[in-house]
Amino acid sequence: MFDLTIEDFDLLTDEEFEALELEVGRLTSCWMVSNMRGGSAIYWDDQRIGEKRHEYMALKHPSVNVEAEMAFRNKAVVDSLEGNSLIHPLTTPVIVVDKTNTKCRSVWRSIGVEGLSKFRETPAAIVSLGSVPGANVVEDGEWKRLWGAWLRLTKNEYHAGWVESMVPTNTRPPLTPEQDRAMLGKYAYQKDEVRQPAPEPPHDDTWEVWPDETETCWQFINLKK
Amino acid sequence: MIAQERKAALLNAMQKLEAYRQIQNEMGRAVAAFNFRQADRLLGFFALDKEDVSLEYADEGVFNGPDAVKTIIHDVVGKEPEAGEMLDMQLTTPIIEIADDLQTAKCVWWMPGAGAIPQENADPMAIWAWGELAVTFVNEGGAWKIWKLHYFRYMKCDYKKGWVDDTSMINRLNTPLHPMADTTTYHNPYSPTNIRVGIPCPPKPYASYTEADNRWELDENKNW
Repeated sequence: MFDLTIEDFDLLTDEEFEALELEVGRLTSCWMVSNMRGGSAIYWDDQRIGEKRHEYMALKHPSVNVEAEMAFRNKAVVDSLEGNSLIHPLTTPVIVVDKTNTKCRSVWRSIGVEGLSKFRETPAAIVSLGSVPGANVVEDGEWKRLWGAWLRLTKNEYHAGWVESMVPTNTRPPLTPEQDRAMLGKYAYQKDEVRQPAPEPPHDDTWEVWPDETETCWQFINLKK
Repeated sequence: MIAQERKAALLNAMQKLEAYRQIQNEMGRAVAAFNFRQADRLLGFFALDKEDVSLEYADEGVFNGPDAVKTIIHDVVGKEPEAGEMLDMQLTTPIIEIADDLQTAKCVWWMPGAGAIPQENADPMAIWAWGELAVTFVNEGGAWKIWKLHYFRYMKCDYKKGWVDDTSMINRLNTPLHPMADTTTYHNPYSPTNIRVGIPCPPKPYASYTEADNRWELDENKNW
């Protein structure tokens, strides 16, 4: 541990203390946002619907459609949770907190493994790589997810590999490959296409360029025409 | 004029940030020692002066106390490595809460891992070995030490078959438990018939570690 004491702060002017306090707060926020995203990943794997849980989403934010969010959470997409799993470890974090320490943009990458059994059939083993871009805000003194996305790179039957196989997002009713491609699979790997550079991790000046926390375009600034 | 409470809060926040960095580094070093089969080095990361230091892994039981922890690490990690043998675990998805009193920390990581198991008269078997790690650290004179470590197996399978088709290694064989092991507290690896339950749970912010915090990683109350 370092040897700093409270008395050392007496050497600072009030303005210097407040600047230090803000910067320490911003660093702490990167950690807290990581914790929150990790907790969300645990609950993503534990797919119970309708269960009361600690709220990781900023439901009080005016941009959040609470009704739609709750409807989404309560919709079953598999008959039984037996054999179903969504383990998406978070790696490669890029986290940028704004200068007021109230808003944060972040992107993680993830190499994920899944088990998918839609109708109680023997599950399919799936490998799914992707990214987790999002924006986070402070609500009730806690960092929460304002919005977040899963941008798939691969989602393949394990033995087939990602060149040969692309499993659509599991929905009810099921998506056609075209519908899937237009949604979570929009930037997914395709063997006959050049990869799109999305999501772009947030730059240090992201909050100066796009101050609105609901703005999502920063992920797509480098898309190839 | 800045109030003393505010100064104390800032100092505490800075100390927590430093502890966060130290804990991530210490756990990274401990995992490297595990991967490299360095038993004595790995033991150096444990709080072996604490009577209630513990290690639990998968369904192999809980090893309570310094002697049991030393024994199981020497038995498992300290075994003479064979040619072609490998296990490489990686730390991801850190969820770390440091107590306000800076004396303990509760941590969870998700651990993808890959390995190779030597076979008789054949090439080694490539395996996946993924799990989750819940660790309680204790601050001993400024050094963060592993006080309680709990490894949860997620999958252990033949790489060629995958985690759905090969569940032969997720549970221990029906052989006697290690004589120094106490009963396993939790084991729910992935299988085509198991249901995930969000364990280990994410640690929650806390002020100070108390008796009630023992086995915090098994808390099934998600509505905190």
